Amino acid sequence: MGGGFRVLHLVRPFLSFLPEVQSADRKIPFREKVIYTVISLFIFLVCSQLPLYGIHSTTGADPFYWMRVILASNRGTVMELGITPIVTSGLVMQLLAGSKIIEVDNSVREDRALLNGAQKLLGILIAVGEAVAYVLSGMYGSVGQLGVGNAILIIIQLCFAGIIVICLDELLQKGYGLGSGISLFIATNICENIIWKAFSPTTINSGRGAEFEGAVIALFHLLITRSDKVRALREAFYRQNLPNVTNLLATVLIFLIVIYFQGFRVVLPVRSKNARGQQGSYPIKLFYTSNMPIILQSALVSNLYFISQLLYRKYSGNFIVNLLGKWKESEYSGGQYIPVGGLAYYVTAPASLADMAANPFHALFYLVFMLSACALFSKTWIEVSGSSARDVAKQLKEQQMVMPGHRDSNLQKELNRYIPTAAAFGGICIGALTVLADFMGAIGSGTGILLAVTIIYQYFETFEKERASELGFFGF
Amino acid sequence: MARGTSQSQSSSSSTSRPGVVAPRGSAAATAGMRRRRLGGGSASSNASSGGIGGGAGSGGNMLRFYTDDAPGLKISPTVVLVMSLCFIGFVTALHVFGKLYRRSAAAAA
Repeated sequence: MGGGFRVLHLVRPFLSFLPEVQSADRKIPFREKVIYTVISLFIFLVCSQLPLYGIHSTTGADPFYWMRVILASNRGTVMELGITPIVTSGLVMQLLAGSKIIEVDNSVREDRALLNGAQKLLGILIAVGEAVAYVLSGMYGSVGQLGVGNAILIIIQLCFAGIIVICLDELLQKGYGLGSGISLFIATNICENIIWKAFSPTTINSGRGAEFEGAVIALFHLLITRSDKVRALREAFYRQNLPNVTNLLATVLIFLIVIYFQGFRVVLPVRSKNARGQQGSYPIKLFYTSNMPIILQSALVSNLYFISQLLYRKYSGNFIVNLLGKWKESEYSGGQYIPVGGLAYYVTAPASLADMAANPFHALFYLVFMLSACALFSKTWIEVSGSSARDVAKQLKEQQMVMPGHRDSNLQKELNRYIPTAAAFGGICIGALTVLADFMGAIGSGTGILLAVTIIYQYFETFEKERASELGFFGF
Repeated sequence: MARGTSQSQSSSSSTSRPGVVAPRGSAAATAGMRRRRLGGGSASSNASSGGIGGGAGSGGNMLRFYTDDAPGLKISPTVVLVMSLCFIGFVTALHVFGKLYRRSAAAAA
């Protein structure tokens, strides 16, 4: 690099101001990890229920509605930004580093520190920027209505919440907790949503008397109050405007299917070079990239929605804008815009099976789009994230592992037979499952369910591993 | 699984290969030691040895952004938790004072 100018070095002056959680200097016992994780989760949950102080109104269309699932954010609460700052900055930095736009030498300690600092700094900057943009764009009422003092207070609250999320995530990752904060928060948000839709005690008056919102509660309520039990059952299973029992069953089914597929893997035998007799295995999972393809896919689609909605509201007559997407206010969820035409419509899941039959081209286009996007993102991601055949071969070589019956130079070729296929095919499977979930009308979106299940499965694995290590420790 | 005590610990410290089984005691123990040094001991810092958050095959690793130590304002985990609770308390207090202020203003008018 020869001492030339490097973008990364711009971060250095800020490094000393960035909050930084100390690394664990001892091995944290399993119990303590669980406690840290639970407290962090509690803080997150409280934050996502606590309304922001000083906001005037949160009615009207919500342009970020489609992103809320993957960003674990709740409208009008302190967690308005959710994990947006971290995820955005993390993805940006990884893409920049992966595509060699900023040069990072991973073997140099300072470089890694600088990269982490840069990510955190970018995260905080994004939090500040978004908070200011939200307030100025009048999402909580115009600045004149709010008053300058309240506007500043709102910005401070949002920024501080962003910093807290960053710190909590770091805390969990530095070995004090289980898994990563981001996935924990996403999964919690989705699970909360599912539980709420199933057991919500809120009543909604839809013209046929009060109905409960929660599917299970509604089932019992209808069965008890209605005199015609068959009609009541049909109502509970197939009501359109509120979550019904079919949705709930579909959710459970998808859950089970994903768990079943998680077990699919190709196991490659590896052997240590200098410790003779040490056998091992390198499993290549079918879901090699796990939930990454859908995260990327939904990030892409959400951005498309956001841009298209903004444009449509300003210039709805324009031909190109209409081609991108036409939007209409939904009858059910008040003030929510849904796509009814253009590209945005065709990349949205059909609302129901009847909808699908009415417009088969839409369904077909959606299917093709989902599958190809997921496969493509999956293949790109292994290159970007450093889990491609070349990187894995390098890692194995660093750890002095060889495959029995293959020469050293062959390792990469051998891995190359499996990894890209696993990535592409796994991406397609994930995409197909998402589509299936959407078609069956699973609660939350298909994307949400898939994210939640894969994350929960990862947590389950971590749990088992921690438990095993704990037992081994005591066995000494 | 024929897994010795020391191996089960070392294999759990390496996130990339969960299924390493070593039947022999001493040789495997040294291998485990070496690997532990490579990985840095805990599962979180292990991801750093394989690229930026790019663990092999598990998506959990891919979402790990902050793994290494950086020189900065050091805070302990307890401080983070207390800070967050204080923040929650602060916002709640704002709500309470906002309500009280509004009521007293209404009463004065």
